[in-house]
This record gives sequence, structure tokens and C-alpha cells, in this order.
Amino acid sequence: MARLQVRNAEKWFQRETGQPFKVLDGLSFEVREGCVTVLVGPSGCGKSTVLNAIVGLERLDRGELVFFNHDGQSQQRPLIGYVFQGPRLLPWKTVGDNVRLALRGAGVAREKWEDRVQRYLALVGLEEYVTQYPLYLSGGQRQRVGLARALAIESDLVLMDEPFASVDELTARQLRETTRRLCEQLHRTVLFVTHNLPEAAYMSDFVVALTARPACVEACIDNPLPCPRRWGPEIYRFAADLEAKLSLREEAEI
Amino acid sequence: MASSSHTRATVEMQQRDAVYPRESPLRRPAVGREIIGRILPPLMALVTVVALWWMVHLVFPRLLPSPLSTFRGAVRLLSEGGFFFHMIQSLRRVFVGSTVAMVFSVAVGIYMGTVVMGERFFQPLVVLGLTIPGLMWSLIAVMLFGINEIAPYFAVAVTIFPMLVINIWAGVKALDKELIDMSHVFHFSPWLKISQVIIPQLVPNIFAATRYGLGLAWKVVVVVEMFGTSNGVGYQVMKAYQIFDMEAVIAWTLTFVAAMILIEYGIINLVEQRVTAWRPKVEVWRR
Ligand SMILES: Nc1ncnc2c1ncn2[C@@H]1O[C@H](COP(=O)(O)OP(=O)(O)OP(=O)(O)O)[C@@H](O)[C@H]1O
Ligand SMILES: [Mg+2]
Repeated sequence: MARLQVRNAEKWFQRETGQPFKVLDGLSFEVREGCVTVLVGPSGCGKSTVLNAIVGLERLDRGELVFFNHDGQSQQRPLIGYVFQGPRLLPWKTVGDNVRLALRGAGVAREKWEDRVQRYLALVGLEEYVTQYPLYLSGGQRQRVGLARALAIESDLVLMDEPFASVDELTARQLRETTRRLCEQLHRTVLFVTHNLPEAAYMSDFVVALTARPACVEACIDNPLPCPRRWGPEIYRFAADLEAKLSLREEAEI
Repeated sequence: MASSSHTRATVEMQQRDAVYPRESPLRRPAVGREIIGRILPPLMALVTVVALWWMVHLVFPRLLPSPLSTFRGAVRLLSEGGFFFHMIQSLRRVFVGSTVAMVFSVAVGIYMGTVVMGERFFQPLVVLGLTIPGLMWSLIAVMLFGINEIAPYFAVAVTIFPMLVINIWAGVKALDKELIDMSHVFHFSPWLKISQVIIPQLVPNIFAATRYGLGLAWKVVVVVEMFGTSNGVGYQVMKAYQIFDMEAVIAWTLTFVAAMILIEYGIINLVEQRVTAWRPKVEVWRR
């Protein structure tokens, strides 16, 4: 069942000269409930733009976004967890307070805050950093706080924009495993952007591949690997499959 | 007995070690050196000013009283009964006027920086306000409100308002859009957005505006007090002027300057350190 459908999305931006150019060209795909949908595509094709449109930071020029509730009826845009491409933490708030503020904004009852903060920071391995300020953390640690914040509000739709790109491979593997396990167990619906194909192979239930700009859907591929996922050679085999099917080249002209 | 004090000492040592572990090359800075580093430079600045003053006094003894006799005059002022009364009157006018200006300028500055129509509306008004001298506002205020407390409050607030707005407005234009987007995604209420995301980014501008505003406010207050009130430092300076008592004029000025320095170091600096504790200290050109 679909949680979200993107229908014929079209988006134009302007260069500094005022000349308009098309970024999204009639994009249509759906995000299935309780699944991880992975969006892959060449750099600069408009993946972040799609996510920004979904959370309402950008407005589509044509086409529509339709959100569905659990009964399959369309609804208003729900609360959405978002792991941004950068950490986007408030530097004047401690790590714990950054998560707490998101909980407060999301309308989570105050009694639950401490438990959530502890639980989700522990999940990303940062339970010791609750009272630290973000500027004293490494880049990868900050990104993990961003992940904890997006998960802590326990929205059932979560968007992740290359969340592990700035984390070392071993930590990234742990985080992928944690995130994947969380989604499988709690049936979170996730839209996950990456350009790392083994990561796409491991995380996905479903892969949506975009073409270079202006982006449209090049292919939708079901992930045949069994759940729960385990890191192993079959991941790399599927990743190679994906690579063979897709034309993940850099954008041709600026 | 001896053993218990010994253990207490070891515990203290261990606690200190917990902050600065023995193997760490970072050492707690020596307290004496820290204090000297903080006090010596401003003290030298002060000494330079007094030395220059003394030299001018040696050349033109009729014109300028010596620093020493002025200082004695200031001390005499302090021991007189009315001094604190007049000082408090002036300080109150400075504070009320600048606080009013501050509140309005933060609101208008945020409005100008975020709403294009607001910017277009207020920009000519701000430029207009900048060109009107404080003396003019003081005269207008006293003529409008008469000899009462509204006049100095009004004159101060209206004079410093444009300068503060310009400062805050510049800060709002430099706000980090990504953080505001983040607050939007996590459904921050308007109050949370302003208090947790926008105002903290404006802190450097607010402090600059406060320092600038207080300095300017005091100049306006003194002017208003000269003809619009019957107490305060400006009133006393005017009285001294009428009997051509140069020493008293300078002594009053000095005490007010001292009060402002106390406010700068005793309040503003401390508050600033507190609210910017999250920021690693910038030490590019320092050793
Ligand atoms: N606010 C904007 N104004 C103008 N152009 C923009 C704006 N935001 C994005 N673009 C352009 O839109 C295109 C898509 O940007 P987007 O950030 O969505 O790419 P992406 O697929 O996320 O790339 P990456 O994988 O490198 O993160 C880029 O070519 C970029 O230059
Ligand atoms: Mg991107």
C-alpha cells in the first residue's frame, strides 16, 4: 500500500541570470508503507529537491504529492522526520536539547522526552554526548545526531538524504543495520537517498532510479534479497546488478 | 586526623586530574598570568589617557584642571549626598529609553529582514531617522511632553532606534536559511522559531547594538537633562557650566564614564560570555 505518491512532479529553478531550467521532469513514483524506498541518481539530478518538496520546503511547479493514512485515504501532509544532507543542528543548543526541541516541535508529550533522547542517542552511539555542544563534535558525529533527531520524533514517514555519506564505512555499516532493523521492526516508512549502490542494495525494499537532470524515473526495481538483511556477497551482487541496469553518470552540462 | 585531611587532599587532586588528566599536555592556565593578561591592557589604555591629559594641563594650566585635582573633585562629589541620586536618575533614563528602543528595534529589524514589503516601508524611515540629530529630538521631546520623565525616555528611544534597527536588520539578512528550514520541518511553533532559532543568531548584533545604543543614549540623556529636567547628571553639569566650574564639569563626566565602564565589564561582558559559551573562542591573531 502506498504511503505517498509523487505524481508528475515538475520543478524549475532559476540561474543567477534569471534563466529558468528544469530540474524535475514529470517525476512519478510511490513510497510504500512499511518499506524502505531508495532513491538513487547522479549528483545534481534533483534528489534533495524531491525530498524538500515532500516536506514542504519547496513547492512543485506542476504535479502533486498525495499522502495516505493507514486506511489508504488521502490526507494532509503528516509529520515527517528528515535527516538533512548536512547535520543542521542548532550550535547554541546541546546535542540533547537539539533532539528535545524537535520533540517539542513535533508535539511529543514532555514526559517522554528524556527516554527518547537517551534511547535514540544510544542507538547512534552518542549517549555520552548529551550535554555537549555540536561544534565540539566531529562531522560524522553531528550527522548521527541529525539521524537521532529525525528518528526520535517517531513519525511514521522518515526521509533520509545521504545520511551516512560523511561517516566512516564501519560506523556506516552499523548505522545502516540499526536503521534497517528499526524500519523492519517498527514498520517505519522510509525514503532514503544515496548514490552508494551497495548501500542502496542493503537498505532498500524498492529502488527508484532517476536519470540525470532534468530528472525522471529511469527504473523501479524490487529488491529480491530476504529480510532481515545481512551484509554479504549477495549485497554486492545486487549492487552490481543495479549498476548494470542504471546509467548513473554525472550530469552532462551545467 | 592527619590521614583524613590527606585523603581529602588526594580526592581533590583526583578531581582536578579528572578535568586535566596527568598525561594530557593541556595545563590549567596559571591564575596570576590570566589576571595580569586581562587587567594590564585596559589599565595601560587608561594610563595613556591620563598622561596625555596631564601633558595638556602642563601646557595650558588655566584651561584644563590637572587630573589629580579633578580626581579629588570627583571623590568629593562621591561623598556628597546628592551624587547617587542624580546618577541614578540619569542611569534610569538611559536604561528605560534604550530598553524601549531595543524591544522595538528587534521587532522592526526582524520584520524588515524577513518581509520584503516591510523592508521597503521602513528603509526610508530609518534613513530619515539616522539624519535627525539627538539634540533635535531632545528639543522636540521637551516641547511635546514638557518637563517630565516622558521627554527623556522618548528622546533617547527615538534617537537610538534607527541605529539599532540597522544593526538587527543586517543580522536578520544574514540568518542561516537552512536552520530555519529545519525548524519548519520539525514543526517548531512561531515562538520556538523566534526564540530558539532566530534570536540566538542575532546575539552578536544585539550586543553590538546594546553597546552602541547605551553610549548614544547617555549623550542624549545629558542633553535633555540640561534643559528639560531638574535633576540628573546633565542638570548638574549645566549648573557647573553656569558658574564656569571646569573641574566639576569634568568630574561629573568622569563619574558617568566610570559608571558606563562598570556596566560594560560588570554586566554586558558577563552576560555575553554566558550566552556565547557554546562557541569555541576565536583566537586567530592571539597567542
Ligand atoms: N534553490 C535553488 N536555486 C537554484 N537552483 C537550485 C536550487 N536548489 C537546487 N538547485 C539546482 O537543482 C539541481 C538539483 O539539486 P539537488 O540538490 O536536488 O541535487 P541532488 O540530486 O540532491 O544532488 P547531490 O547528490 O549532489 O546531493 C542542481 O543542479 C542545483 O544546482
Ligand atoms: Mg542532495
